[in-house]
Amino acid sequence: MLACLCTVLWHLPAVPALNRTGDPGPGPSIQKTYDLTRYLEHQLRSLAGTYLNYLGPPFNEPDFNPPRLGAETLPRATVNLDVWQNLSDKLRLTQNYEAYSHLLCYLRGLNRQAATAELRRSLAHFCTSLQGLLGSIAGVMAALGYPLPQPLPGTEPTWSPDPAHSDFLQKMDDFWLLKELQTWLWRSAKDFNRLKKKMQPPAAAVTLRLEAHGF
Amino acid sequence: MGARSSGAESMEPRALLLTQKPEPMALFAFFQTILLLVSLSLRTCQSEVLSEPLPLTPESLDVSINSAQRCLHLQWRVHSLAYHQELKMVFQIEISRINTSNVIWVDYYSTTVKWNQVLHWSWESELPLECATHFVRIRSRVDDARVPEPRFWSNWSSWKEVNEQNSLGHKASSVFPVDKLVEEGSNVTICYISRSHQNNVSCYLDGVRMHVEQLDPNVSAFHVNNVAFVRETGTNIFCEMDPKDDAGTVLFVSKVLEEPKDFSCETQDFKTLHCTWDPGSDTSLVRKQPYQSYTLFESFSGEKRLCEHKNWCDWQIAQDSQEMYNFTLVAENYLRKRSVNILFNLTHRVRPMTPKVFFKNISATNATMTWRVHSTGNHRTLLCQIELHGEGKVIQHNASIKVNGEYLLSELEPDTQYMARVHCGDANHFWKWSEWSGENFTTLEAAPSEAPDVWRDVKSELGNRTVTLFWKPLSKSHANGKIRFYNVIVENLDKPSELEPVPIPAPANHTKLALDQCSYRIHVTANNSVGTSPASVIVISGDPGNQVEEERVNVTADGFSLSWKPQSGDVTGYVVEWCDRPQDGSCDLQWENLGPNTTSTVISSDAFRPGVRYNFRIYGISTKRIAYLLEQKTGYSQELAPLVNPQVVMSNLTSHSFTLSWKDYPTETQRSFIRGYHVYLKPKEGQCHPGFEKAALSDNSVCCKYKIDKPEQKTFVVENLQPESIYEFFVTPFTSVGEGPLDAFTKVTTPDEHSHLLIRIILPTVFCVVLIMIVCYLNSQWMKEKCYPDIPDPYKSSVLSLIKSKENPHLTIMSVKDCIPDAIEVINKPEGSKIQFSGTRNSLTETEITKPAYLYLLPAEKNYSGPGPCICFENFTYNQAASNSGSCGHVPVPPTAPSQRGLLTSLENLLKALEKNYMNSQGEIPAGETTLNYVSQLASPMSGDKDSLPTDPPVPALCSEYKMQMAIPLGLASPPLSENSSVSSVTLLDQGDHHH
Repeated sequence: MLACLCTVLWHLPAVPALNRTGDPGPGPSIQKTYDLTRYLEHQLRSLAGTYLNYLGPPFNEPDFNPPRLGAETLPRATVNLDVWQNLSDKLRLTQNYEAYSHLLCYLRGLNRQAATAELRRSLAHFCTSLQGLLGSIAGVMAALGYPLPQPLPGTEPTWSPDPAHSDFLQKMDDFWLLKELQTWLWRSAKDFNRLKKKMQPPAAAVTLRLEAHGF
Repeated sequence: MGARSSGAESMEPRALLLTQKPEPMALFAFFQTILLLVSLSLRTCQSEVLSEPLPLTPESLDVSINSAQRCLHLQWRVHSLAYHQELKMVFQIEISRINTSNVIWVDYYSTTVKWNQVLHWSWESELPLECATHFVRIRSRVDDARVPEPRFWSNWSSWKEVNEQNSLGHKASSVFPVDKLVEEGSNVTICYISRSHQNNVSCYLDGVRMHVEQLDPNVSAFHVNNVAFVRETGTNIFCEMDPKDDAGTVLFVSKVLEEPKDFSCETQDFKTLHCTWDPGSDTSLVRKQPYQSYTLFESFSGEKRLCEHKNWCDWQIAQDSQEMYNFTLVAENYLRKRSVNILFNLTHRVRPMTPKVFFKNISATNATMTWRVHSTGNHRTLLCQIELHGEGKVIQHNASIKVNGEYLLSELEPDTQYMARVHCGDANHFWKWSEWSGENFTTLEAAPSEAPDVWRDVKSELGNRTVTLFWKPLSKSHANGKIRFYNVIVENLDKPSELEPVPIPAPANHTKLALDQCSYRIHVTANNSVGTSPASVIVISGDPGNQVEEERVNVTADGFSLSWKPQSGDVTGYVVEWCDRPQDGSCDLQWENLGPNTTSTVISSDAFRPGVRYNFRIYGISTKRIAYLLEQKTGYSQELAPLVNPQVVMSNLTSHSFTLSWKDYPTETQRSFIRGYHVYLKPKEGQCHPGFEKAALSDNSVCCKYKIDKPEQKTFVVENLQPESIYEFFVTPFTSVGEGPLDAFTKVTTPDEHSHLLIRIILPTVFCVVLIMIVCYLNSQWMKEKCYPDIPDPYKSSVLSLIKSKENPHLTIMSVKDCIPDAIEVINKPEGSKIQFSGTRNSLTETEITKPAYLYLLPAEKNYSGPGPCICFENFTYNQAASNSGSCGHVPVPPTAPSQRGLLTSLENLLKALEKNYMNSQGEIPAGETTLNYVSQLASPMSGDKDSLPTDPPVPALCSEYKMQMAIPLGLASPPLSENSSVSSVTLLDQGDHHH
C-alpha cells in the first residue's frame, strides 16, 4: 500500500490540474478582460454623468428614455437570453470585438465635438481605456485561436453630425451612444464571466483509492 | 411680428369696413375689366391725365417661405398698367392662420407701381411657420392724385395657402423652431406638432415645465419671454404627450455681443501697430455659433484685416509715412455687429521697447547702471525711471536719454543685494511706459565698521580662572560682509609677553580662556574677507572683586526695571548681565551695554518665563576697561504660587510639645519669593492653641494656622499639647501670589506622661536579667554541680575495683533487677502541701514534705534469687503521691507467703490505686489534699544508660513494674525555674495536656 501511495504522489505533478508550471491558457487573459470591463463600467459612469450634464436636461435626468431615432447604426448589446446562452465562444468574442470597434470610433467622434477641454481630456482617457479593452479581447481571441474580424474597406463608422439632424437629435444620438456603451460593458462582463467559468479547469481534487488487502 | 416691403413704408391700417367690398361677382368683374381696358386704351391715346378711377387688381401673387427667419415673402404684379405708366397705389394684405377666417394680420403697402414691375413685401411671423398653415391675399387701390375720387379697392386676390407643415417629413412629431439661434433677452414662440391629436401635452424648457396653449388638435405652442443664456450646448426644449410621442429641439441662446472695450493701438518700432482690446463676453455656442470675429478697418488707407486673435491684432505700418490713422474695430457674430473707432497720430502712440540693462563698476558702495533702448526712430528723447530695490526700501531716480542711458547708483551698503530696474517713455508725447527691465547685483564687502560687543564670565577654581568670552555677532550694517573669524589677543598686564592672536572661526560667539591670577587685557576683533574691525577691549583684573548684597528688582509691564546708584569718577559705562535660561542650567548669558550717564534700564526678553527667578548683575566699567560688580538684583517676571511644600521633620516629641523643622529649598526651584510659612494644625475639640488662628483650607476644612513671617525661620515648636492625643500638622510656604499646595497632614501622637519613667525602670531591669542569664550560662557547669549534680552510677564507681582488688575478688555490685523489693515507699503529702496558682504570676511551691510513708513488700525467700538486698533510690525528679482513697496510706500487707503472683497482685492493686488517683486528678484537684502522684522509676536492668529508650515492648519484670507514670514538663521539673516559664507550664497542664 505504501508503494501504491508513493507512486501516486510521484505522479501528482503530472496531473494537469495541479501542474502550475505549464501554459496557463486563456484563463488569465479572460480574467483580465473581465476586470477591465468592470473598470470601464465604473469609469463610464463618471464620464456619462459629466457628459449628460454638459448636454443639459432632459438628457441628464435619470428617467429620460428618448426614442432611439438616429442611433440605429449603433451595435445593439441587448439580445434574447436564449440566443445569448447559445452563442459560441467565437461568436460571442467576435460580437464584442466588433461592437467595441464601432463604439470606439463613435466615441472618438464625440470627443472631437466636445467643447470643453476637460471633457475632451476625459473622453480621450476613456477612449484609451476602451482601446485597451479591444486589445484584450483580441488577445483572448488569439489565445483561443479565433481570427479577428476584418472590417470591410470603406465601412469605417464615423460619428459626425448629420446635417439633416437637428441638434436635439444629435444630442439624443450622443445619449444613446453612451447608453449603448454602458449596456455593452454590462454584457461583456457577463460574457467574460461565462467564458471564465467555461475555461476554468476542473477542480484539483485527487482521489486516492486504497485497496485494503488483508485488512 | 412685422412686415417689410421693398421701397416703401407700410401704411397704417385703415377702416377695413369702408374699403372692403363683398366677394366679386363674375358679372361685375367682367364689366369692370372691360371698363378698365377701355380706359387704358383711351389714356394711351389721350393725355397723361386720368379722368376716372380704375381698379387695378394685383396679379401673379406668389408667396415664398423663409422658415429660419419665419418670414413670408410676397411678390406680385399689376398687369393692368399701361406701358411706361407709373401709378401710386396702395395694397392691402391680409394674413390668416390655420383657416382663412382667422385673420391675424392686415397691412397696407403703398408704393408707386410701374408697368410690369414685380412688387415685394415680407412679413415675419412670431410663430414658426411650420407650426400652422397660413393664408395670404392682397388687393389694391389707386392712390394717385391724378386719379379723381372716388377711388375703389380692387377685388381680393385668391387666398394663397402657405403650408410648411410638410417639413414634418416622416417624423411622428416635432418641435419648432429647430436649432433656433436667438440673443439673450429675446422672446420666442415654440410649437409642438404631432400627427395624432394631442392629449396631456407637457413641454419643458431646460427641465422647467411651460404653460402650453393648444392651437389646434395637433399643435400646441408656448411663448418664452426674455430667454436667458444657460450653456454653450443650448437650451433643450422637450415635449411629450399621450399617446407617447416625444420630441424636442434646442434653442441656442447667445450672449449679447458686446462692444470691444479699451481699444487702442501703439507702436514700438514704427513698423507695426499693435492694437489691443477687451472682447467682453464669449458668444460662441457649440455646433451653432463660433467665437465672434474681429475685423480691423483703417479708413485713410481703406485697408481691412481680419484679426486672428480674440483681443489683439497687428497692423503693418506702410512705408509711405502715414501719420494719421483712423481705425474701426468691428466685432461680429451671427446675430449682430458692434464697432469702435479710434483716430490718432502715430507719433503720439509710441511705447519704447523694453530697455536692456547692464551693471558696471560695482564696488562696496557704488554701482553704475547702463541701459539701451532699441530704435524708436529718429532719435527721440526718452524719459526713463530707475528704481533701486534693496534693504526693504525703494529709491526712484529719473533720467532723460536718447538711446543709451547711464546712472550712478551711490551710497549703497556693502555686501548687499540690490535690484535695479528701468523703464522709459516718449518724452515729447508721452503715451505709455515701456516694460520694466531690471537686474540684481550685489555690492562688494568692506571691512567691519564696528568692534564686536564683548562680555565675559569669570569662574575661579583652585587659584585658576576660567574666563569665557562672549561676543554678539555684528549687525549686517556693521559687518559689511560675511564675518569669517574673530581674533582674540590675550595680553598679560603683569608680565609683558608676546601677543599671539587666536583666531576663532565664525559663527562661534564665545571662547574659553584659562588664566592665572594675573590681570589680563583681552582684545577681540571681527574679520571678514576684506579687513578687520576695530578691537573690543576688556580687562580681567587679578582682583577677585567685591561681593554685594542681592536686592529685589521691580517688574513693570515692559520688563525688569533696574536702577543703580551713579558711580563717581572713572566709569566709562555700565553693563547689566543676566541669564536668559537659568531654569535649565544653560544660563544663556545676556548683557546690555549702557552709557556712563545711565543709571537705570528696563530689561525685557522673549525668553523670560513666569515663575523663573532671574538674577541681574550690574557692573561698572572703568577707564581701564575693568568691570567691577556694583549691584545684584533678583526677581521674577511674574511670580507663581509654590508647587512644593518643604519636607518637615518632627522631633522632640513630648507629651506636651513637639518641634517641626524643615530645610530651605533651592532658589532655582522657587517660583516666587517666599515670604514665610504657614503651620496648619488640626484643632482638638475645635479650639486653637494660642498664637494660632482659625483658617479655612482649600478643601473647605477648618483648621488652625500659625503664620511665620520670617522666611529664614525653619523651625517651629508646637506647644501646649495634651498627652496621649493625636495631632495633625502641615507646613506650607506662602508668597505674594498664594501658598503652596494643600498636602496631606502628618499625624503625631503625644506620649503618656509617665511612660518615660516606666522606660527608665524596665530597661535597666531587663538588662540586669539578661546579664544574670549570661553569667549563669557561662557558669552552667558550676551551677549544675551545685544545684543538680549527676546521680552516681555504682557501675562506674572506682570504689568497686578498689575493694575487689584488695579484699574480696568475688565482690560484685548488686543488680537492681535482682532485687526483690520488699517495700514501696509512698510519699504522702501532708495537708499543708499545696500548689498555688496566682494569676499570671504562679509559683509552684512545695511548702512541706512530711515524713514519707512506705509500703513494704516482703520478698519470698524461696524464690529469691537475687544477690542481695534491694537498694531503693529516691528520685527527686518525680514526686510520688499516695492516693487519698484510704488504702493508700502505709498499707499493711498480710504476711502471706510472698509469691510472684502475690507480688503481681500487689502491684496491680497499687496500679489500680494509682489509676484511680490519676482519674481523679483529671477532675478538679482540691488544693491542699493531694497533688499529682508519681511512681519513681528505677534504673532499668535492660539498659546501661538511663536515657536510652527501651527497644522492647514493656514486659512485666522485676524491679521495673511501673505501668504508668506521668511526666511533668521539663519546666516544672527543672530546678532553675523562671517565673515566666512556670506560668506557661502550668497553663499547659491546666489545659489538659497529658503525656503518658
